[in-house]
Amino acid sequence: MIWVAFLVMALVASAFALLPIFRPDTAAVIRSDAVPAVLADQLEEVRRDLDRGLISAAEAKAAELEIKKRILSVVRRTTSEEHGPGAGGGRAGAILAALFVPLMAFGYYTVNGAPDVPALAFGERAPERAEEARIVDLAQQLHDRLQNDPNGGASEGWMLLGQTYMRMQRFEDAVRAFETVADRSDATSATWSMLAEALIGANAGTVVPRAEAAIERALEIDAMNPAATFYAALAESQGGDDAKAYDLLTTRLTEANGYAAWMDSYVARINRLAQATGKPRVAVSDYASEAPRGPSAADVAAARDMSEGDRADFIRSMVDRLASRLEAEPDDLDGWMRLGNAYKVLNERKNAIEAYSRAQELLEAAAQDDPRRQIVEKALRDLQG
Amino acid sequence: MIPEIGHFALALALSLAVVQSVLPILGASRGNVRWMQSARSSAIGQVFFVGVAFAALMRSFVVSDFTVRNVAENSHSLKPLLFKIAGTWGSHEGSLLLWVLILTVFGAGVAVLGSNIPAATKARTLSVQAWISVGFLSFLLFTSNPFDRVFPPPADGSDLNPLLQDVGLAMHPPLLYFGYVGFSIVFSFAVAALIEGRIDAAWARWVRPWTLAAWMSLTAGIALGSWWAYYELGWGGWWFWDPVENVSFMPWLLGTALLHSAIVTEKRDAFKSWTILLAILTFSLSLLGTFIVRSGLLTSVHAFAVDPERGIYILGLLALSIGGSLTLYAWRAPVMEGGGLFRPISREAGLLVNNLILAAATGTVLFGTLYPLLLEALTGDKISVGPPFFNAAFVPMMLVLGLFMGAGPFLSWKRADLAGVLQRVRFVAGLAVLVTLAVWYLISGGPFLAYVSILIAVWLLLATLREWALRIKFMEAPLSETLRRARNLPRASQGMTLAHVGLAVAMIGMIGSSAWKSEEIVFVTPGTDVTIAGFDVTFTGAERLRGPNYIADRGRLEVRRDGEPVTTLYPERRSYPVAQSTTTESAIRSTLAGDLYASISEPASEDAASGEAWTLRILYEPLVNFIWLGALMLVAGGALSLSDRRLRVGVPRRTRPHGDLRLPAE
Repeated sequence: MIWVAFLVMALVASAFALLPIFRPDTAAVIRSDAVPAVLADQLEEVRRDLDRGLISAAEAKAAELEIKKRILSVVRRTTSEEHGPGAGGGRAGAILAALFVPLMAFGYYTVNGAPDVPALAFGERAPERAEEARIVDLAQQLHDRLQNDPNGGASEGWMLLGQTYMRMQRFEDAVRAFETVADRSDATSATWSMLAEALIGANAGTVVPRAEAAIERALEIDAMNPAATFYAALAESQGGDDAKAYDLLTTRLTEANGYAAWMDSYVARINRLAQATGKPRVAVSDYASEAPRGPSAADVAAARDMSEGDRADFIRSMVDRLASRLEAEPDDLDGWMRLGNAYKVLNERKNAIEAYSRAQELLEAAAQDDPRRQIVEKALRDLQG
Repeated sequence: MIPEIGHFALALALSLAVVQSVLPILGASRGNVRWMQSARSSAIGQVFFVGVAFAALMRSFVVSDFTVRNVAENSHSLKPLLFKIAGTWGSHEGSLLLWVLILTVFGAGVAVLGSNIPAATKARTLSVQAWISVGFLSFLLFTSNPFDRVFPPPADGSDLNPLLQDVGLAMHPPLLYFGYVGFSIVFSFAVAALIEGRIDAAWARWVRPWTLAAWMSLTAGIALGSWWAYYELGWGGWWFWDPVENVSFMPWLLGTALLHSAIVTEKRDAFKSWTILLAILTFSLSLLGTFIVRSGLLTSVHAFAVDPERGIYILGLLALSIGGSLTLYAWRAPVMEGGGLFRPISREAGLLVNNLILAAATGTVLFGTLYPLLLEALTGDKISVGPPFFNAAFVPMMLVLGLFMGAGPFLSWKRADLAGVLQRVRFVAGLAVLVTLAVWYLISGGPFLAYVSILIAVWLLLATLREWALRIKFMEAPLSETLRRARNLPRASQGMTLAHVGLAVAMIGMIGSSAWKSEEIVFVTPGTDVTIAGFDVTFTGAERLRGPNYIADRGRLEVRRDGEPVTTLYPERRSYPVAQSTTTESAIRSTLAGDLYASISEPASEDAASGEAWTLRILYEPLVNFIWLGALMLVAGGALSLSDRRLRVGVPRRTRPHGDLRLPAE
């Protein structure tokens, strides 16, 4: 359909280029007619001015003389160039032009056009807006349910609501949702770092004192929380200490074991700081020896659409993949901890204990105050006790 | 589909422009009438397709089609319809599309209306016009495509800038562009004349209506822009010597010089190469203005360096067109025959002085505008050349110009009778001095320069009227004779009188509102009295109101003079929650004698809690409306002159016997 419209337009354009072919080729104004006409008119104007008494007779006479002289010189000077001999030809040129016009336009358009993108007026997009309104509505429903729950609503519910608000850019609402959970005993490090993120969002990117307090709290619970460290560095940077921000981020990267998605944003941020501080730039490969591992975005999307049984199998296969990788790289402390946790979730106690034990062995080399010691010890106690 | 049709139409327009840039000029040099005449249909085709593209973009704005990136970035579904339409030319891409549309309108205008122009001259002119078209259409398509698409579209547009939602501003760019770009056709005529190697009185006449049309719209555009700044920005000034203003003012100054020098070329066959140079330079300044405004150079030299693609492209176009035309000028101008001779005291000499002053003034503004930019580019220092520079350098030149302008129309061509002229103006000169002394006596304040300026403005006004009176033999002949003469005076001459009077009137407004302006900025609570320029103003409080898409704090000011109530002013401060911005809506009591202008700002922070304390800015600007009245007269004068039948000289078509055989295709 659209190409039909283009074709019609191209034909019209060609017609514009072709039109001269049909014109009588001699009806052109030439100089020796046009110039004297203007001068003759000037002559008439002088006479008119004289009639009206605007100029004196002597002035008029002088002016007339001068104009007449000019008319004569124009007539005498008319050259043959203007009556050119080729007056009758030129059809081929016009036809060539008429072919060139659509060819060039189509050539340009096939490279740069977007014929498949439909036009979509705002008025026609009611369903889309209805969908958005539905999400807003669902968030509202969730909010009401949590609010009216005599027990204050489940923490998971509030966290989900907060994250939904974050996606809708309703930072103030997100802050309230996360705060509800933060006040509770089951608040995790993640609760506090998300609260910090929401507070920063609500203040147009500024790490306000409340956000700083939340970051501190998140790091108290889990010193390895990458989000909390990230925002702690942001706070330093906004306080004017880019060097300290740089150090915070690189130190955390050094502590990382294997690739994780957050490392990309770390590296991007570090390199921006590197520019400001003159410190060296870094790359993800400096800290993680291998390419991204773990479930890819596609894996996650796949898992979402699976039935209960399929999902269990899927998780099983992921765990097996992790286990076999750790056989090859037995020094990956975080990997062993993740595997232990996975077995724990799958209720495979024996395997879980084994994985955590491997982690414990590796931890002997780690610092005394490494928070992972506590996590592993607690996990082993729970599994054995 | 509509946006893609617009996109394809632009591609077709570019193709037609390419054809038009080659075929007609080739035809002119080979004497091929058919090729020469192809300019006509391709110029019409160009304006048609650019028009289709413009309509497609406008439609996308009107229905808020956010699949078009330009619409998504520069509009919003909640904008009032008028501003959706104005949004079409609000953005970089849209304004360039408007630029090209006007360029093609002028090209097609000459193609259709210029039936008295010889085919060869017309063909060359239209080819040169098409070169500019090719440059700007390709700039549009390759660096600033207004039909870039986004899919899926964002939920709503992202621009609701309330400051830009103003009728004055909506109309400002089209008018300015009409002036700016209108000078393109004059440029094309000049380059065509250089290529042809011939320029004469007839050439000057063919160009004159186009120069006038461009000059009129530029005048209207500048006046409208200053009017908008005055009423909307809430600063109480009407001209800020801001670079954006300057780049539109420079082509105006030089265009005014061109208008006058073309008269000499037309009447006396003189000033020919100077007229050509002015035509080239005027459009070059328009291009320079487009470059400065569109490249982002103004925001910051560094912003330009970060994303230089667009700037470099325009810079290339600029170098090519200005450099190319000036080279051509240097090569061809010396071979043009000289024109009529004249004495030092003559109409020609007067117009020469006019031209020299206007050119010097343009140079001054150019220097003041470019110097800070160059300095920033070279050293990184940011300085601003402000009103003090322009007032010291530019204003005196204009005063000298005013002095000559009053006397100029009395001078006759070739050689003028100085003694006779002096005798004729003696009376009005004396009257002007008396008026100035009277003003001094009445006001006895303000800078000395203001009185000199008043003297010159009054002189210009009276001398212009005196010259008109002489022409119609006012008080010298019976009334019936005077009326007959007034009716029969050529419109071009009536237009001149009106425009000169308009300038004098505008000058009076400018002087009055700058020299005798009173201003009070006070901290007010309900019940506070302020006295300004003989008015007693009482602030009686502020209330909160809700508008359609804003919340306003509206102050109430009771104005009295000598105890008698005059009016009540309601200045507002509006905040727009969606756009998260605030605007000042000043309240103005406007009379011909002057404007009483009030605006309120945020409550001063200390007492913000009480909400009762406001910063009130109150101004009295005497005679300020004379500025726009004068501008209106300038435009009307131009229109009157344009309507003169002499500008529409027709010539008999040279037809051979079979010339009447017309095919239906035509």
